[in-house]
Amino acid sequence: MNLLSRSSVRYLLKHRLQLILSVLGVSLGVAVVLSIDLAIQSAQAGFRVSAESVSGRATHVIVSDGGYVDESLVASLRIDYDLAAVAPVVEGFASSPSIPGRAIRILGVDPFLEGPFRPYVAGGASGLDVSRILTTRMGVILGERLAGTAGVAEGDTLSVLIEGESWDLPVVALIKPTDELTRSGLSDVILMDISGAQEVLRVSGKLSRIDLRIEDGVNSLAEVREALPASVSLQRAGTRTDTMSGMIAAFDVNLTALSLLALVYGMFLIYNSVTFSVVQRRGILGRLRALGVTRREILRMILVEALWIGSAGVVIGLTLGFFLAQGLVGMVTATINDLYFSVAVERLEVEPLILIKSVLLGLGATLLAALPPALEASGANPRVAALRSEVEARARVLVPVAAGIGAVLCVIGAAVLLIPTQSLSVSFTALFLVITGLALLTPAGTLMITRAVGPVFRMLGGTLGVMAFRGVGTSLSRTAPAVAALVVAVSVTVGLGVMIQSFRSTLSQWLDGTLQADIYVSLPGPSASRATGTLWPDLVEDFVSHPEVAGHSTYRGFDLIRGEDAFRLVALELDPRGERSFDFIEGRAEDVMAGFRIGSGVIVSEPYAYRRGVGVGDMVELTATSGVVEVPVLGVFYDYGSEQGAVMMGRALYDRYFDDPGITSLGLFLADGADSDAVVEDLLAGVDDGRAVIARTNDNLRSASLEVFDRTFRVTAVLRLLAFIVAFVGVLSALAALQLERARELGLLRAIGLTPGQLGRLVVTQTTMIGLAAGVLAVPMGLILSVVMIYVVNKRSFGWTLNMEIGPEVLGQAVALAVIGALLAGLYPAWRMSKTSPALALRGE
Amino acid sequence: MDLETLLRVLRLVAFILVLAGCGNPPSHSAVVDDEPFLSLVETLGGADTVGYARAMETRDFDFPGDHGPHEDFRTEWWYVTGNLDAEDGRELGFQFTIFRSSLAPTPPGGPSSWSTNQAYMGHFALTDITNEDFRAVELFSRGGGGLAGAITEPFEVWLEDWRLEGLSNDAAFPMRLTADGDGVNLDLILESGKPYVLQGDSGLSQKGSEPGNASYYYAHTRMPTRGQVQIDEEHLEVSGLAWLDREWSTSALSDGQVGWDWFALQLSDGWDLMVYQLRREDGSPDPLSDGVLISPEGLRVPLEWGRGVLVEPTQTWLSPVDDAEYPSGWRIRVPEQELDLTVTPALPDQELRVAFRYWEGSVRVSGKGPGGNEVSGRGYVELTGYAGPSLQEGAK
Repeated sequence: MNLLSRSSVRYLLKHRLQLILSVLGVSLGVAVVLSIDLAIQSAQAGFRVSAESVSGRATHVIVSDGGYVDESLVASLRIDYDLAAVAPVVEGFASSPSIPGRAIRILGVDPFLEGPFRPYVAGGASGLDVSRILTTRMGVILGERLAGTAGVAEGDTLSVLIEGESWDLPVVALIKPTDELTRSGLSDVILMDISGAQEVLRVSGKLSRIDLRIEDGVNSLAEVREALPASVSLQRAGTRTDTMSGMIAAFDVNLTALSLLALVYGMFLIYNSVTFSVVQRRGILGRLRALGVTRREILRMILVEALWIGSAGVVIGLTLGFFLAQGLVGMVTATINDLYFSVAVERLEVEPLILIKSVLLGLGATLLAALPPALEASGANPRVAALRSEVEARARVLVPVAAGIGAVLCVIGAAVLLIPTQSLSVSFTALFLVITGLALLTPAGTLMITRAVGPVFRMLGGTLGVMAFRGVGTSLSRTAPAVAALVVAVSVTVGLGVMIQSFRSTLSQWLDGTLQADIYVSLPGPSASRATGTLWPDLVEDFVSHPEVAGHSTYRGFDLIRGEDAFRLVALELDPRGERSFDFIEGRAEDVMAGFRIGSGVIVSEPYAYRRGVGVGDMVELTATSGVVEVPVLGVFYDYGSEQGAVMMGRALYDRYFDDPGITSLGLFLADGADSDAVVEDLLAGVDDGRAVIARTNDNLRSASLEVFDRTFRVTAVLRLLAFIVAFVGVLSALAALQLERARELGLLRAIGLTPGQLGRLVVTQTTMIGLAAGVLAVPMGLILSVVMIYVVNKRSFGWTLNMEIGPEVLGQAVALAVIGALLAGLYPAWRMSKTSPALALRGE
Repeated sequence: MDLETLLRVLRLVAFILVLAGCGNPPSHSAVVDDEPFLSLVETLGGADTVGYARAMETRDFDFPGDHGPHEDFRTEWWYVTGNLDAEDGRELGFQFTIFRSSLAPTPPGGPSSWSTNQAYMGHFALTDITNEDFRAVELFSRGGGGLAGAITEPFEVWLEDWRLEGLSNDAAFPMRLTADGDGVNLDLILESGKPYVLQGDSGLSQKGSEPGNASYYYAHTRMPTRGQVQIDEEHLEVSGLAWLDREWSTSALSDGQVGWDWFALQLSDGWDLMVYQLRREDGSPDPLSDGVLISPEGLRVPLEWGRGVLVEPTQTWLSPVDDAEYPSGWRIRVPEQELDLTVTPALPDQELRVAFRYWEGSVRVSGKGPGGNEVSGRGYVELTGYAGPSLQEGAK
């Protein structure tokens, strides 16, 4: 080990707290990035594996906008059109008391036709007893893994709840897939013969889709298209999977951006501690230079130190990230289930690429953060290197320069934000530009604030007060990054807080307007935010004829995927009292509803219109039973129910287009004076045994919806907290270091007569002032960020408009947070300095 | 005892074996040269007859009704083979078989149209003798969802786009047969020709000593046939003679046989000859082997195996797949009738390399017919148990 390395090691070991904080900064940053990455990737992988094992080797699928395809099309394609690889599929969802908390996919197929698609259920190599599958009514086939989870074996029965109906289904076979992909893909799937699936899902005569394999040379797309009736459409199977997994892209980008923020804070922590280490060794470094050590060697020494810190941080961060991901994946999956589609994640999908990415990010961030102080250490000439005042002088010059660059960045960021694009990466780049710009403006802002409050301090604290606030300005090279970091951390907290609050209050208001009925009835299903399945007609009949029910609205909804497009198609039969539930952005409510009633067009939700650039008078294309139809858009309404967007039509129009009498959910209007809770109880008491139905009062549904919202933002809250902890630790260490660095100066002050108490007050006053400045600066900056997040990022991510709502508590919290953080940061140095004898502090002279 | 039935049961077992393990794509693919079915044979052990109808006593056959399905019996088949001449002189042979199997005595029930206890398997082969081309395909399907099924009136049995149907409501004949696969399309009209022959005791074909261990069985041995054949892009007008075997039963197979050689020959003097030779595990012919002559008028003349009818292989052929050795040329004699025929495959390689591998193909006949007159003729021969593990080994 050479002299320089020894010097490094000695230094680092002597300053353990600093070392620990640096390592902590890197590890927290890496952990947050990795855990979010892992959680999202695992959810994506879970979805893909399941989608692929379920869609098998199909190249194309036949689907219908009406939700179902007529089953006779299979025979027609195989017999009349002689297509070889054609297989019917009936899909749905179930839950089981044996497998709590998981949505299970039901896949109904004909084992005879499965060879080209899903060989694991085609008999033969899989060893399935096809004759038993065919002849056991409603028999199910489970993957071994799912059977293990459910604790059932061949010959047992599996209790399930499917679209509100309870069944005990005989387990006729277990599949033991040989490949891992199928094994994990089937971990949330129960297979049934198509007859059984049709029976339990109550879709006799209908199929969810028809799988096809179209291979070059065997048959052509054109041939197949020719064979299809106008009521169905042919789509690429891969495109559908991509479209579905693409639904969570915006969610993914938002979380990733948030996780990167934690890394940025981590970088600040590194920057700060490396700077501090350079500053503390200024003397040694100067002497080393004087002894003939080259600049390059100094630079290398500092960077190697940083690299060691970074490596340690990365190793810890990876471990920490892995554990953090275990918790996050559940939250991410819950949100995806609530808002997008059903997905079950069995375990974390640890792709080497993700790990490499985190390692590189961690090391890269460390080196990048260490570079400026390392350059500073190596850049100065041996004599000047020892002079702190030189650094400060330069820093002072830099303040207006930084402010200028900051202003330019803000302008550029704003300009980029104005670019009319739906691209999220552009929006986030702009947002980061704005944040960086604002951060660069903070030193100037800090100076201005300290100047502004200077007279107050002079009046209150006399000389000491003046010293405190002047000190902030004179140690700018150290205070500026600390303030900037604190401002960014607090402002992001403010921005997110305002955004979430605005979102919640917008949603709440929207729910007030939308939920007009007194009682809502739907089936229990895999998603908390979207009703699925079909209510029993006799139950609907019973419910609407309840003596206290004065009127009702019906709702039929499907999530449609058409190639790269996905949206929800809804048919509404509205009670007159329910017509007020829409708030239109475009179109006059009376005109729109008049047209809606007579079926002269459809209304579309804001996200639908925004994402597709559709407005009133434009046409929406639908594949009806009779073929493709174009329907005019009558109005665009505010909607926060579906991020993909929704197309709604009157029931009469729907019935004209589609052969589907089903009802997904029901809204009941009660007679005046009726007690909703009592009626719900009464209705539920009349439900047949073996059936489960969810009936909720207006209030219950409203609070349940807000619960889903809160659950959705739980991940955001966790990330926000983590990012803030990193920032907080950074600020703490920066301010503490700043004061510790001033040991000699403070020692001098002690020597000329300041009491320990006075010194403590000086230090605490100074850090508190920094905190206050940061808090004050963070409020407008946070509001700017929230405006960007609400009107740009959210709109572009999800397509909806939120009404900005600024709660005083969010702003108050921000300032309090900054001040308390800064205050805490001042206490330790103050305590230490007051304990140290002035002689000791001055010994260096 | 009627051995035809036993042979057909062997065929059926092959079908069930295949069915239980139908791991191959049920597409119109031409050849599948592995034998996945044999690994699953144990699922068939001790075939349970409880709940099925049994062939206990003679019955009155009722046509056209009996051409249709008898789903209360476990198994049933429509088996058509024939030799055809094209207008341009080309010679063709075809085999068309639809097997029906009840997988359980009663349907599982439920509202779905896919709900069924019926399964179907089909084999379709065409031999273009002139061009030395042989193609074979297989199909499987459930008897539901409109994909396969059988109807009594009007008579129709279909497996996807393979179909055998009566062309009028009140009579089975003329019958139309359509099938396609591997570039071949067949569309034939079959006339009844000779009246149907009831095999065994008035159509009750006893297989074992236990009552009910029997099948119902009739055949049309000589059906004038005409129609179109398309081979790749070529359309041919064809005519010739076909042979229909119909049988339904519930009983299971007895132990001991490894395979069989089956001959269905149509002679130029109007006589038809069926000969069965069952082979035992030790390689010897089973004493239950037998034969039948049908006169030009449709009268049945039973032959006694061993003394009444003698079959000697004269040549062998090796399968290119695994060098499995098949007999490929025979001398068949019925001394009592002065019958002495030489039977030669129209093509050596007419092996069906489907899930269940066997040889079934068109043959040429020459020599002396009943009464010692010089005759020629054509027919079909089926050879099983020569390739791969024997059925019986598999069944254990």
